[in-house]
Amino acid sequence: MDTPETLATRDGWRLLRRVLMEQRRGLIVGVIVGLLWAVGKVSVPQITKLGIDRGSEGNGSLLFWTGLVVAAAVIAGIFTAFRRWVAFRESRWIETRLREQIFDHLLRLHVGYHDRTQTGQLMSRASSDLQQLQAFVVMIPITLSNLAMIVAVVVLLFVSQPYLALFALAPLPLVNVLASRFSRRIHPAVLAVQQEQAQLATVVEESVSGVRVIKGFGAEGVQFAKVSTEADDIQRVSLEAARIRSRFLPALDVLPALGLVAVLGIGGHRVIDGAMTVGDLVKFNAYITMLIWPLRNLAMTVALGQRASVALMRVNEVLSTPSLVVDPESPTRLPAATIDRPVGEVRFRDVVFAYEGSDPVIDGFDLSIPAGHAVALVGATGSGKSTLVRLLTRFHDVKSGAIEIDGVDVRSMSLTDLRSAVGIVFEDTFLFHDPVRDNIAFARPEASDDVVHGAARLAGAHEFITALPEGYDTILGERGYSLSGGQRQRIAIARAIVAEPRVLVLDDATSAVDPSKEHEIREAMTTVMRGRTTIVIAHRPGTIALADTVVLLDGGRAVAVGSHDELLATNDRYRQVLAAWAVRDEDGDDDAPTPSPDSTTAVVESRRAVSRSADGEVV
Amino acid sequence: MWGMAAISEEDRLDRVQTLRTLRRSYDLARPQRRILHSALTLVLVSTLVTLAGPLLLRYAIDHGIKDGNGRVLNWLIVVYLGITAFGYGVGRLQYLAINRAGEGFLRTLRLTVFERLQRQSMAFFDREKAGVLVSRMTNDIESMGELIQFGLLQFVSAFLLLVLAVIVLFVMSWQLALVALVVLPLLVLASVRFQKQSNRAYLDVREKVGDNLSTLQEGITGVRVIQAYGQQDARSRRFHSTNRALFDSHMHSVKVSTWYFGLVEFAGIAATGAIIGIGGWLVHRDAVSIGTITAFILLLANLFDPVQQLSQLYNTVQSSTAALHKLFLIVDAKPDVDEVEHPTPLPARGAIDVVDVTFSYETADRPALRGVSITVADGERLALVGPTGAGKSTLAKLMARLYDPSMVDGTCGTVSFGGVDLRQSSMSDLRRRIVVVPQEGFCFGGTIRENVRIARPTATDAEVERALASIGALERFADFPEGLDTEVRERGSRLSAGERQLVALARAALVDPAVLVLDEATSNLDPGTEAVVEHALESLMNGRTVIVVAHRLSTVRRADRIAVVDHGELVELGSHDQLVTLGGRYAALASAWEASQPH
Repeated sequence: MDTPETLATRDGWRLLRRVLMEQRRGLIVGVIVGLLWAVGKVSVPQITKLGIDRGSEGNGSLLFWTGLVVAAAVIAGIFTAFRRWVAFRESRWIETRLREQIFDHLLRLHVGYHDRTQTGQLMSRASSDLQQLQAFVVMIPITLSNLAMIVAVVVLLFVSQPYLALFALAPLPLVNVLASRFSRRIHPAVLAVQQEQAQLATVVEESVSGVRVIKGFGAEGVQFAKVSTEADDIQRVSLEAARIRSRFLPALDVLPALGLVAVLGIGGHRVIDGAMTVGDLVKFNAYITMLIWPLRNLAMTVALGQRASVALMRVNEVLSTPSLVVDPESPTRLPAATIDRPVGEVRFRDVVFAYEGSDPVIDGFDLSIPAGHAVALVGATGSGKSTLVRLLTRFHDVKSGAIEIDGVDVRSMSLTDLRSAVGIVFEDTFLFHDPVRDNIAFARPEASDDVVHGAARLAGAHEFITALPEGYDTILGERGYSLSGGQRQRIAIARAIVAEPRVLVLDDATSAVDPSKEHEIREAMTTVMRGRTTIVIAHRPGTIALADTVVLLDGGRAVAVGSHDELLATNDRYRQVLAAWAVRDEDGDDDAPTPSPDSTTAVVESRRAVSRSADGEVV
Repeated sequence: MWGMAAISEEDRLDRVQTLRTLRRSYDLARPQRRILHSALTLVLVSTLVTLAGPLLLRYAIDHGIKDGNGRVLNWLIVVYLGITAFGYGVGRLQYLAINRAGEGFLRTLRLTVFERLQRQSMAFFDREKAGVLVSRMTNDIESMGELIQFGLLQFVSAFLLLVLAVIVLFVMSWQLALVALVVLPLLVLASVRFQKQSNRAYLDVREKVGDNLSTLQEGITGVRVIQAYGQQDARSRRFHSTNRALFDSHMHSVKVSTWYFGLVEFAGIAATGAIIGIGGWLVHRDAVSIGTITAFILLLANLFDPVQQLSQLYNTVQSSTAALHKLFLIVDAKPDVDEVEHPTPLPARGAIDVVDVTFSYETADRPALRGVSITVADGERLALVGPTGAGKSTLAKLMARLYDPSMVDGTCGTVSFGGVDLRQSSMSDLRRRIVVVPQEGFCFGGTIRENVRIARPTATDAEVERALASIGALERFADFPEGLDTEVRERGSRLSAGERQLVALARAALVDPAVLVLDEATSNLDPGTEAVVEHALESLMNGRTVIVVAHRLSTVRRADRIAVVDHGELVELGSHDQLVTLGGRYAALASAWEASQPH
């Protein structure tokens, strides 16, 4: 009966209910404030009527009625402001808290989840989806007090002039019907416009980033034709949206006007007949005018609610995904180092691992690395070198077999212990938008400057860091100062040193480095590896030579173990693998200055992420 | 939402720039002018209709109801109905007209900007950030689209309504109009103040949103490092602090608007009160009629709403004008590498002569090339080697006129092909003789066939296939499920790196040029594809002049001559053997290369 879709929507609503319940106090305050506003607002036409009737008959104090209106004005003014304030505070707070929950949850989700989920998707969960929710929640107190106002006005009108009220109010429900139909129709049209705009953006993006090819072949005309097709498409769908607007929006203006005509026609005759006063006439006019926006709003809120539930459903999907890699219930501690027993021994016992839905990458891998020993893992692309490292640090868990550090299974220690025991320098260095100092002291933010500088010296980074514009305070990262591949690597190595791990892993740490600069990194590596258990993934002979033992990986197993020279002399496969690497070895060369990505771009990009994800896709 | 627009001080245009920008836009909108004018007329008419309602009511009260004249009342109702229906019709037309004018204008703008953008030289693209250029063409124009859909109409009609309402009020009763106008200036002042505050507040929100998204993105993309070093808690705290800063910033902007909206609500109702009080007194003295007071009360709304709308639209209009101004800067930029009016035709084949060429990137403080001279004979293979940043890629790009030599110390030198200065030839002629194959095989969205054909849009299917066949790549692509018509997806993500390079080589083959300029690929290829690409490259180079920026010893060895570039100068030139014997820079480089090769 229930399709997965309706089930998921129901989860979305459930999350919404929970979120609203948590915020119920603020929301209730908002509604109460809104009701007070409605009182002020609704009283005005009634006072006006009394003022006109009594005032024109000359038997009432004009000053009194005027004073009452001003009092109503004060009430309405104060409470409309207050209502707005409360509504926004509650809705923004809900958005803020949920965003933090999403972020915290994402940081703790297993790496496998991140491997198959696009960053853009997750970004839009935490930005545009939550905005949809905020847009709905902010309307809740406003809509409820509007509703109260509508009811009050309708009752008031019926009590004073039932016959006239019937005719005057008759067109108003249609405003609501029309407004909700409008929001249903315009939504897909707006999405279509966004989609066409995204397509144009794609063509423009590829034209700018592929400008070398276009210039190289003089293919400007081809791209221009593409852009002009896309521009035509945008124009077409935009005009389609305009046609929908033109059908509904003027009609929404006209309907209340029909009510006003009814007031004048029927009410006018009743005044002539003496059944009601001129003041009543003005009152009716004012009330009808007052109802127009709340009715339109009501329709809008319903549409916003539907969109919010879909958005929340997606948010819920993220929040309800459990992390597959978690702390054991009673973690075993790693043995402390003693004089006669150095730490950092690593054992892989018959390890088997496969990525979801694929054949095993690691298939019965056995290896024992004594404490303080350095091992180089060598193998062709896809032989499973990086996967081994990811298993060691529990980014994934083994399918069978076990990995032990100092005799303790990695799955039976706490994640904090495990990850402070293993320090990884990744192939693609990730630097944060923080000062150099914080990037190095990443694992131990409390580390002293001496420790940080010492680590940088060991990694051979101190010299270039001090030459940076702001030294250790230079901000790095995507929007910060851009460093060369080798410099980035040395900072990553310094980061690993500060962490003081029992086991150091260098995952292809030199691959991003110009071969002519590789020796600098190699020196840094030699210093760092001294006396520490190290696993090096490498393919350049110079780097491999740093290790005590070389392990050749093939088909997810260790097929040969020995020194570099032994393997070179005796193993065909080893020679083959190294030769294949050498052929495709690279040195990045581009002597044109590359413009560094700057904050404008980042902000622009992020704005795009927000503004164009009505359908949840970041373009 | 258009209300959210904000403009920073440095983007704000002065009066002269604003007027100039608006005039340029009006000129650009020439094809839409007629529809624009009729849209404006319709807006005027519909504003008049809006004002007619209260006036009819006034007449009905004073002349129908108070006199007890049912006939007049009935007539007025008929007129009221008629005007309402008319207003509906005008409203629809006005929507359509303003959107047709606006979208037409945006289309022209998109195409004009893109066309000019493409004419710019490589130096322009080095200089400008790709992200910024793209966002000019997308975000900036899109936000203008929003302005057109909602704002423009409101802006014009709010302005008209305000002016006309004031006139009508004065004509009906100057005394009451003065009462209303006591409130109006206050509202205007408040609106101006609000507009300034909200502009600042929104700018701050925008910045905080940017910060917050960056931290968010950093957390997600850096999750592996964060987990590897167990820093989840620290990063969470960091995110919470930018997130809370965003919340505070949002709340500040709400605070700014809160007093204003409260004040507007108060002022509107209080003005009604004042009209009742003073109006009532005037009615007693028979200075105004009850109908007039009623009309006044209803018209007040037409006075206050426009002031609010105008103040909110003010920022939007300003930021759109600023965006337009920036777009016109792109349109007006003169291409550095431009066509000569009467180009000299290039010969079919010939030597490339580089004579005393200097070149400097605009952003660099020292020249990339200084006084380089070299002649590459027809059919020769020249390898350019040297350390990173030495200038070898730059030299190659100059030989293909991706850049023109630039003046350094009063000289720039010349690059010529077959005796013709490249600056004197036409671009289309040049691109048929000299083809650059970039490092990365860049693919566009579309099919494989379209991607190859981009090199020569007029080529037939058979020619495309022949080009692919000539480099031995036809079979590989024909084996795809939809053959050459397979969609390669955005950036060619469906193809492997090697296949993308094959496409790049096929493009060159399709042009069949005399000279090939190659920037040797540095991306990792799997060994199988590597061999195919090698083979394709070899067949492509066959019989042509080749200038290759080399990174591999094997490539360098196959070259006829080797040019060693360092610090922007040509330091050694000769064959492999000659240079090794020379024992200079190249000899050192070659032995370093050998050392890192497996034996």
